[in-house]
Amino acid sequence: MANPDGSGEVAVVGVTKRYGETVAVKDLSLTIPHGAYCCLLGPSGCGKTTILRMIAGHEMPSKGDIRIGGTSVLGLPQIKRGTAMMFQSYALFPHRSVLDNVAFALKMRGAGLSERHATARELLAKVQLEKFANRLPPQLSGGQQQRVALARALITNPRVLLLDEPLSALDEYLRLRMRGELRRVQKELGITFIHVTHTQLEAIAVADMVVVMANGHIEQAASARDIFVAPRNAYVTRFVGGQNVLCGVVEGVSDGTAVLTSRQGARLAFPIDGRQPARGAELYGSIRRDRIAIEKLPAGSLPPNELNAIVGEVHTIENQGSYVKVTIDLGDEEEFVAHMVDDEFFRDPLDIGDRVVARWSASDVNLLDDGLNVRPAMPMAAAAS
Amino acid sequence: MTILDSTASGLAAAAEPAAAEAADEHAINTGELASWFQITPLMIILALFFGLPMLVVLAVSFFDFDRSDIIPAFIFDNYTDLFRSEVTLRLYLSSLKFAAIVWAVTLILGFNIAYFLVFHVRSLLWQIGLFLICTVPFLTSNIIRMISWIPFLGRNGIFNQALEGAGIVNQPLEFLLFSDFAVVVAYVHLFTLFMVVPIFNSMARIDKSLLEAARDAGAGRFRVVAEIVLPLSKTGIALGSIFVVTLVMGDSFVVRTMSGGQSASVVSALQNEVAALQYPPAAASAIIMVIIVTLMVAGILRLVDVRKELAG
Repeated sequence: MANPDGSGEVAVVGVTKRYGETVAVKDLSLTIPHGAYCCLLGPSGCGKTTILRMIAGHEMPSKGDIRIGGTSVLGLPQIKRGTAMMFQSYALFPHRSVLDNVAFALKMRGAGLSERHATARELLAKVQLEKFANRLPPQLSGGQQQRVALARALITNPRVLLLDEPLSALDEYLRLRMRGELRRVQKELGITFIHVTHTQLEAIAVADMVVVMANGHIEQAASARDIFVAPRNAYVTRFVGGQNVLCGVVEGVSDGTAVLTSRQGARLAFPIDGRQPARGAELYGSIRRDRIAIEKLPAGSLPPNELNAIVGEVHTIENQGSYVKVTIDLGDEEEFVAHMVDDEFFRDPLDIGDRVVARWSASDVNLLDDGLNVRPAMPMAAAAS
Repeated sequence: MTILDSTASGLAAAAEPAAAEAADEHAINTGELASWFQITPLMIILALFFGLPMLVVLAVSFFDFDRSDIIPAFIFDNYTDLFRSEVTLRLYLSSLKFAAIVWAVTLILGFNIAYFLVFHVRSLLWQIGLFLICTVPFLTSNIIRMISWIPFLGRNGIFNQALEGAGIVNQPLEFLLFSDFAVVVAYVHLFTLFMVVPIFNSMARIDKSLLEAARDAGAGRFRVVAEIVLPLSKTGIALGSIFVVTLVMGDSFVVRTMSGGQSASVVSALQNEVAALQYPPAAASAIIMVIIVTLMVAGILRLVDVRKELAG
């Protein structure tokens, strides 16, 4: 390593990556502070893995620069970058014992057999795999293989650890356990982790910083909290889930609030944060699923004529334990989901097909950036959860 | 790495119990029976067309013979003659020499061609295309392929003319044709593909991320090949080696054609005996040949467990 104790700040500067005609990453810039846990989140094919591989040195950017700790690492071999990579399928060497897998990087550095085995044994003891030291990787379970991969990546004391979908090969139970453990390891080592995932909740659960990507560019880079609470645009809102996208045409503006009419004719109020949308402009906002009150609409009664109240039909009901996820069909393609606290739901349970009114407070609406009449792309992957 | 200490307990808790299912005996018995049924057709074919003829050859190898007849008997003369003759040793040494040289050359070529096809040619279409080009020589018969070397390597052949034309040599090179060199060239031409295919197969199964992981750990290009690619291609190399070694040991035609009759192989000597209707010594020679080649194959199989490759 050129700079073993150096800063693990990773800067991607104006990077473009082309594969022939296709552009995988388009003029992308991103700075990940030293010691941060950063998640690159996006549907498959959005370029997140390409970025990771360019930082690791397994791909060269077509244009732009990649800096680690302030110095450009373009053209440097992997070991000179101070990065280590944990591969999606772990990439353990099937013909070498667990011990030799972990010790491999030391062997490449010319360390003697006893020295490298001692260091590797120490690391294996710390992930509680010392009694598997002489096994071959295919003889281990998925969770054990993952820990071997982690030990192997950490043996070189990297300043940046790159994780390519590290949890995707594990079953649900282990995935939840391991993501907490990855976060702890990162905190304790104090090095930069860059973790690629397409699972929204995984990103929000582990990361300090979440970068939501689509089609080779960044849609939003912010703290996990902001990504969840204040998504920037409809794409991020739909992909991250947790919020519903609202849309309407501006009727009038007063007192920092815009009044809109939705396509279904409902009247909505958005806080406009000092912006000046023109009358007749299309405006997007989002409302958290857990900030919506649901009320049954008695048969024959007229829809309420008030702000931020939409009428729809219950489409699906999923009990999530502490809350119930209710999907409401508003008569368009936009998914509208409300999370009802369990007590509240079971006081007067809804049924599929019930007509309901969904209400929320205008102050809970988050204004989205989406431009006028620009219909943002729908995320490709399974967006909502 | 002390930081990992506190993590260990958590990670250990995440470990699943080792998968150790008790074997269900009934299921295994049924499976075994099914396997026997599956190999029965091949067993019958091998017994009829390989086992039986071999037994006949074995029996004949103990027969006596004269100018025109073979005489049923049980004598060891054919074997003792074989072992007493200096020619036998010379023929075996010559065949083994060719086998060793051709094995080394085809291994180097085969490994590199397979490596190129698997790791450098990224598109599947190109891979298939180049692979097919490798098989083009097989579209015509061995004899034609052998004969086509003659105008190329001959005294006034294209190659010599080109060398003279380019001013590299003043006199045509004599060793190009009808020599050991020509025999090796022909063998390599014929058998390299038998090395390429099995090595390609085992290499194609290597997860590309293993190479990246090795590079990540600081391995240079040659270390990656030595530490990862070579050990994981071992079964393919073993299979290819079996093909090449047995083919060279069993050849007579190439040696005779390309050496211009100057070199002989064990099998070409055997053919001469057959032509002279001396079946019992030819049979004895064949039996010894089979034993030696079987020992060579067994040696290769001891070094490398090819079942892994075949099972895949």
